[in-house]
Amino acid sequence: MATAQIQLPLPVLPTGWSAEKDFKSVNSLSTPVHREIEPVGPHFLAHARRKRHKRTFSEDER
Amino acid sequence: MSEEDGPASRVAIGLSFGNTNSSIAYTSAEGKAEVIANEEGDRQIPSILSYVDGEQFQGAQAKAQLVRNAKNTVAYFRDFLGQEFKDIDPTPCHQSAHPIEKDSQVAFSIQDTESEDVSTVSVSEITTRHIRRLAVSASDFLGKTVNAAVITVPTNFSDAQKEALRKAAADANIEVLQFISEPIAAVLAYDARPGASLSDKVVVVADFGGTRSDIAIIGSRGGIYTVLATAHDWDVSGTKFDDKLMEFFAKEFMKKHKNEDPTKNDRALAKLRLESEAVKKALSLGASASFSVESLSGGYDFTNTINRTRFELLSTQIFAAMTRLILQTVEKAELDPLDITDIILAGGTSHIPRIANNIKNSFPEGVNVWAPATKSDAINPSELSARGAAIQASLIADFEMENIKESCEPVVTVTPHLKHALGVLCISGDVAQGKFQPLIEADTPTPIRRTATITTPREGGDVLVKIVEGSRHIKVNKVENPAKANGATAKEADSDDSSEEEEDSDNDEEETREKVWHVGKVIAELAVKGVKKGGKVEVQVDVRPDLAVSIIAREVGAKGGVRGSVEAPKLENGSA
Ligand SMILES: Nc1ncnc2c1ncn2[C@@H]1O[C@H](COP(=O)(O)OP(=O)(O)OP(=O)(O)O)[C@@H](O)[C@H]1O
Ligand SMILES: [Mg+2]
Repeated sequence: MATAQIQLPLPVLPTGWSAEKDFKSVNSLSTPVHREIEPVGPHFLAHARRKRHKRTFSEDER
Repeated sequence: MSEEDGPASRVAIGLSFGNTNSSIAYTSAEGKAEVIANEEGDRQIPSILSYVDGEQFQGAQAKAQLVRNAKNTVAYFRDFLGQEFKDIDPTPCHQSAHPIEKDSQVAFSIQDTESEDVSTVSVSEITTRHIRRLAVSASDFLGKTVNAAVITVPTNFSDAQKEALRKAAADANIEVLQFISEPIAAVLAYDARPGASLSDKVVVVADFGGTRSDIAIIGSRGGIYTVLATAHDWDVSGTKFDDKLMEFFAKEFMKKHKNEDPTKNDRALAKLRLESEAVKKALSLGASASFSVESLSGGYDFTNTINRTRFELLSTQIFAAMTRLILQTVEKAELDPLDITDIILAGGTSHIPRIANNIKNSFPEGVNVWAPATKSDAINPSELSARGAAIQASLIADFEMENIKESCEPVVTVTPHLKHALGVLCISGDVAQGKFQPLIEADTPTPIRRTATITTPREGGDVLVKIVEGSRHIKVNKVENPAKANGATAKEADSDDSSEEEEDSDNDEEETREKVWHVGKVIAELAVKGVKKGGKVEVQVDVRPDLAVSIIAREVGAKGGVRGSVEAPKLENGSA
């Protein structure tokens, strides 16, 4: 996927905001919905390859 | 048998096998999918076999036999495959060989040899004969023997139906590499075009065929497809338009020949049907068409003309039912018309301009309606299935069968999809309130990685990257009718209202609907410090299959950056 461009600005960091290494983990994502993807097309084949080899995106690119 | 052959000796095609028509396609060395014409020059080959003195005819030649030799002509049989006799609807076969029961399966009683004897031929055997002929046409065209295929099937084709089709194809020496669903083939045919964008889409595929209409709502995320909802309807379809025209021309005929009802005589009825279908097709291109049949009934020739407007008036209810079917399926997927980005019209009936125009008018303006009437670069709706199948065939032709099967197993295909959209909060207007900007839409399968570059406040400095979940809502705004507000006369206001079925009797107000985001859970916060004036921040979000998230934010062009991860949610049912 190409990089998206967002034209609206990010907010200024609120005064008093602090976190170790400037990163704060707040909540996990909501529980996902399990659905079937269609085993069709070039991008699915890449997905299946990653899944079979248990690889992440960056490992896949190496 | 081809079953034993490995990928090395494989010659694979794409095959679309409908109740009404079949078509065959291949992918050229340059990677372009093309539909192959058979010996008669047809790319849409009627799925019909007919027997005359033991000789077998297929396609257009067999279709012509519906007039003289209906009982030895087998048509509309695809859906019978792999079904029990008691479960089928034989209605489409009223004017051809009737399905009968044999060992609780479907068969046809036909005279298919030179002898006078009638044989009982199972629907599987008919299918094998049909596929064999299609394979010969493809082999003749390609100059080598075709021995494998990707075949398209409706989304509601059962495992038993697929197995029966796999077996029937194998008996014709065609190894089925994979069954893919018809709407997915249509999406693939469009996505394989050079320059097609892989952006997130919600696509409606509306397949209007001869005997059935099938709707599918498909989430398309970076070229990966998830079916969100489907619907099937056997009451609205291509032959219903033929029925309207038959009724019309029969009446016109009887204005001249009062005591000669062409619908009371099988042969006249068959002629009426064939010519009405031809008129219907001609009206997809021209503003009027002529009907002309020699010796239609009682020995009388008959010619007549009809214009497109008349045809559209006769068919108003069918058009409305088609649009309604699409809107109902969107609702079934728990989506709103505003969520739809593309509508692909597939199937032969989608050539009718009014269908595409009505659908376009029922959806918001920006929706792409891919049909000949609404887009000059639309792909022929009759060819979408076969093309998609040919593209998939070229993608997997070199794979071992084992490998293809493995990729279709639920361990690979069942995938956690994001429940809500995931995005970042930006500022617009009111500084106190963030505005959600989606990075990943809901219903996106994992793993997924997305990157965005985001502008910063005018002076740069320290900025906050707040990663949050968002859910989309439809906001309905009541806008006061401007005409009324300006003191328009009652007459003008009335004509304003005549547009569509407004349930709302209160015509002081008009509704406008828009998509708005509600901000949900905060997932993470990151600080990017010391951004220079005019600088941009790049944010990358990587969601793992277990829904753990890692996030990186950095000023574009700067090194390092801030990174961290958020744990996977605690799952009750484990991750796939
Ligand atoms: N140019 C055209 N204009 C209008 N209708 C057309 C046109 N071309 C084909 N059709 C109609 O399309 C229908 C066949 O559609 P299609 O080839 O997609 O069928 P199919 O998928 O085999 O059918 P089924 O729904 O029965 O399985 C027929 O009713 C035919 O008359
Ligand atoms: Mg079809």
